[in-house]
Amino acid sequence: MTDETEEELDLNDLDDTELVEQMHDDLYDGLRDEVVEGTEILLARGWTADKVLNVALVGGMQIVGVDFRDGILFVPEVLLAASAMKGGMGILRPLLAETGAKPIGKMVIGTVKGDIHDIGKNLVGMMMEGAGFEVVDIGINNSVEEYLAALLEHEPDILGMSALLTTTMPYMKVVVDEMVNRNIRDQYIIMVGGAPLNEEFGTAVGADVYCRDAADAADQATRLMNEKHAANV
Amino acid sequence: MSGARKRRSGGRANRVAARQASVAVETATFIERKIPCFEILNQEALELIEYNADTLLEEVGIEFREAPAALELLSAAGAEIDGERVRFPRGLCRQLVMASAPSEYSQHARNPARTTIIGGDRTVLVPAYGSPFVRDLDGGRRYATIEDFRNFVKLTYMSPGLHHSGGTVCEPVDLPVNKRHFDMVYSHMKYSDKPFMGSVTHPDRAQDSVDMANILFGEGFLDQNTVMTSLINANSPMTFDATMLGAAKVYAENNQATVISPFILAGAMSPVTVAGTLTQILAEALAGMTYTQLVRPGAPVVFGTFASAISMQSGAPTFGTPEPSLVLYGAAALARRLKVPFRSGGGLCGSKTPDAQAAYESANTLQTAALAGVNFMLHTAGWLEGGLVMGYEKFIMDTDQANMIAVLLRGVDLSENGQAMDAIREVGPGAHFLGAAHTQANFEHAFYRSTVADNNSFEQWEEDGCQDTVARANTIWKEMLASYEAPPLDQAVDEALLAYMQQRKDSMPDQSY
Repeated sequence: MTDETEEELDLNDLDDTELVEQMHDDLYDGLRDEVVEGTEILLARGWTADKVLNVALVGGMQIVGVDFRDGILFVPEVLLAASAMKGGMGILRPLLAETGAKPIGKMVIGTVKGDIHDIGKNLVGMMMEGAGFEVVDIGINNSVEEYLAALLEHEPDILGMSALLTTTMPYMKVVVDEMVNRNIRDQYIIMVGGAPLNEEFGTAVGADVYCRDAADAADQATRLMNEKHAANV
Repeated sequence: MSGARKRRSGGRANRVAARQASVAVETATFIERKIPCFEILNQEALELIEYNADTLLEEVGIEFREAPAALELLSAAGAEIDGERVRFPRGLCRQLVMASAPSEYSQHARNPARTTIIGGDRTVLVPAYGSPFVRDLDGGRRYATIEDFRNFVKLTYMSPGLHHSGGTVCEPVDLPVNKRHFDMVYSHMKYSDKPFMGSVTHPDRAQDSVDMANILFGEGFLDQNTVMTSLINANSPMTFDATMLGAAKVYAENNQATVISPFILAGAMSPVTVAGTLTQILAEALAGMTYTQLVRPGAPVVFGTFASAISMQSGAPTFGTPEPSLVLYGAAALARRLKVPFRSGGGLCGSKTPDAQAAYESANTLQTAALAGVNFMLHTAGWLEGGLVMGYEKFIMDTDQANMIAVLLRGVDLSENGQAMDAIREVGPGAHFLGAAHTQANFEHAFYRSTVADNNSFEQWEEDGCQDTVARANTIWKEMLASYEAPPLDQAVDEALLAYMQQRKDSMPDQSY
């Protein structure tokens, strides 16, 4: 009988509070279509895109993040949740741009030159999207020129660089040094990550932060963006 | 001193000297296996995996990235090329590999007494490879330097249970990326006389390794003899990159061996199941080995397998768990059916320190690799933290295990002495064997004596400072390095190597890639 009730659930029947709670559950369960539908309903009820984003989506993903950190949720489940979040974001992003509401942040991310390992970087991208960031993934094997061109084209808040190989990780310094040379270093938050890195290495190459894993990257990015917004007020 | 009393030979001094020297196991160039390989899959199961691997090769294919020359070669051999995707008609890879890849090969060392044979019933134990960090009890975890690299080459040279000097025993991150291979290859040549591995991080660096080997072994030797076995990783799933393909080509062209190794963290880089992972491993290894045989038919090539799983809760790699052991047993059987040498195993673990987790996990993978019939056991000693760290104390603990593997694989002595009927008759019921003639004749080498374990009484252990394994291993590696003596290297050869390195280093600026 319970199953039947679930099948018959119509999101339109729920009041705002119940709907937000249901959307948190749907995000948790990675139900992309349902999250998209909930997003549309809230917008139709007059919610601003900004409010939908923060209350329904980011709020839900925060719960996902906590349970991932605590080992309750597994990686494939978090990927589904992030994908559901991305579905809702697809609807909100153009509206957010129209209203001039402050997006959470934008990131350009890519693996450095000589390195084609991208599973970790892709996980970071998905976790960042799950945290509400707009992510531009420029792929693998990126030269300094390609990083700089992407910064120019996409105007992100954050540059993320990854490496798996000990022979490619020093290239991060090449990129940061060139940004310093061109006097654009301070316009960006630079985040680095990858198995052979550590905090000391992140500092040595001139990054703002070393991220130990994908969840940490999303947390750190959120924290740094909050600090940046606070500083700009 | 005419008044000094005459002495018989022997006595305390001789016995002490002999006992201290015989702590080590005999120096061998490989372990000759006398026990069967442990099989977990029957013929029907192995044929199913082989069929599925052929389906993968035919339908899905393997990517050979940024390697147009490789694509031409593969196309000429009958593969279908679609962009960078290469699809192989059913059975083609197996046929090409079995037609020319040797089932075993000699890898020459500069000291002929250390020349080893890889393949067949032999197991060659090799130190760990590739870690950016090192750890020891005094300094903790830190980035590796060329000094650490030299230390591990020296320790390996002095470890009788390790038959091979290895390759990137740790990554000397203090040297420029484009020049560190010179110092690494030179360290193997200078500080050891065991066989070693060449650089693979760029085709030019593979060529530098070949050029240095030409200086060491003499011009012309390499074309008919193998002096390096180098590691070519697949970028799993189902991808080979230009760096690895380029290095593989240089080595194969020069008749040097490569280990084609799918690098699997199951769940992320292969399916979560054992059968699915085996299918992918076989397909990747077949594609890579086929490439080497097209570059130069008959160039030695090893079927490699690095298999681990990931934590589905964090994505972190895990080691010493049952599923990768099942993969290892299966892959070893698949390699035997291809009649090529097999590489896998080692003392793999995920632990940060050489603690109980490290010991359990490493023991699981070492034992599995030994029983599975691994021929080239990379990562035998030193591995910590999923390969991110090379541990000094862990290295010493693992070499103790390496020595034991040799004893285990030697199997059961069924000679007259081994049967020990004399001893049984002599002692009879109710007495003890300690004084029997058979025991007197055999006791010294009857049981493996651990180099790191403490089996003394509690009181003696307490008097000795309550040291745990790690503390004891710390003392051992320091004593070894302090007493290290380099194997002599012909001065003219040494000078030629140094001159070559200087000239090559001067020809290019330092680079971070």
